[in-house]
Amino acid sequence: MLLLLFKIIFALFSLSAILTVWQKKQKTLLGNKATFFWIVFWLALTLVVFWPNSTQILADYIGIGRGVDLVIYVSIACIFYLIFKMNLKIEGLKRDLTDVVRTESLESKK
Amino acid sequence: MFIAIVPAYNEEKRVGGVVKNLLSHVDKVVVVDDKSLDNTIFEAEKNGAFVLKHNINLGQGAALETGHEYARKFEADYVLHFDGDGQFVVDDIVPALNRLKETNSDILFGSRFLDDRTNLPFLKKYFILPIGRFVNKIFGVVPLKDSQNGFRILNKKALEKIVITQNRMAHATEIMGLTKEHNLKFVEFPVQVIYHEYGQGMSGGFKIVRDLIWGKFLK
Repeated sequence: MLLLLFKIIFALFSLSAILTVWQKKQKTLLGNKATFFWIVFWLALTLVVFWPNSTQILADYIGIGRGVDLVIYVSIACIFYLIFKMNLKIEGLKRDLTDVVRTESLESKK
Repeated sequence: MFIAIVPAYNEEKRVGGVVKNLLSHVDKVVVVDDKSLDNTIFEAEKNGAFVLKHNINLGQGAALETGHEYARKFEADYVLHFDGDGQFVVDDIVPALNRLKETNSDILFGSRFLDDRTNLPFLKKYFILPIGRFVNKIFGVVPLKDSQNGFRILNKKALEKIVITQNRMAHATEIMGLTKEHNLKFVEFPVQVIYHEYGQGMSGGFKIVRDLIWGKFLK
């Protein structure tokens, strides 16, 4: 009973996350690739919560012993990828900031 | 027009003297103040420099590029990079400019290793700089004896081609990389460096490598 309740709450949470992603896409705050990634991500998570054995099928196919191991490996890979993307984003923002400061510096002397 | 670009951060004690000395060797001195917390701006202006101000501290590379932008607008014929802390000697400027012209080079890099005027700290000479040269080799830039020297002279062509995107100390390697990328003719010239402070240590070197790696992903 408790497990079913958890599954329902998670499904609602996942649905709300997907709706948020879609709204951000509509407002052009997210690109096509990012939208696709996050929707697939939340759907995959929901699949795993409702059918935990699905990870075992995939783990067997890839050759990893346990389904839970596969989930851990994929999670770590995803976290590293997201950190990498965030760092790139921060570096991009730094460059934008530099342009603003530089333009202001040159304009103020006109 | 020959413009000296002097990036400065908290250099109130030395920038005035640097500007005064420079003005007898170049047409204009542009001090780019990188959000100093002291009276750098006042001292620079008092001694005759044209001062550009960053409202946020961005780093030496960013300050140099701001100076580049200014020099491009004024169609400068030559641009000199000169540190604001008084570590370079103004007597090196005219011979260096002459060498650039004689050799028809686009960019001149100052070097501490072409004569024996500079007393390098032991660690810097035998440990940090060789590592710097190795890192530069990995990043495939022009091979220079002195990989981290801030004394440079650029002609108009080099000024157009060299757009610095590395805000902090990795700009030195970036400039060497852009020299190679744009097939600019370069020459090394002996300059003296007087150490008032130690300069970059190992942690600075690691930051440079980190910035260069991120820079590769952003291009």
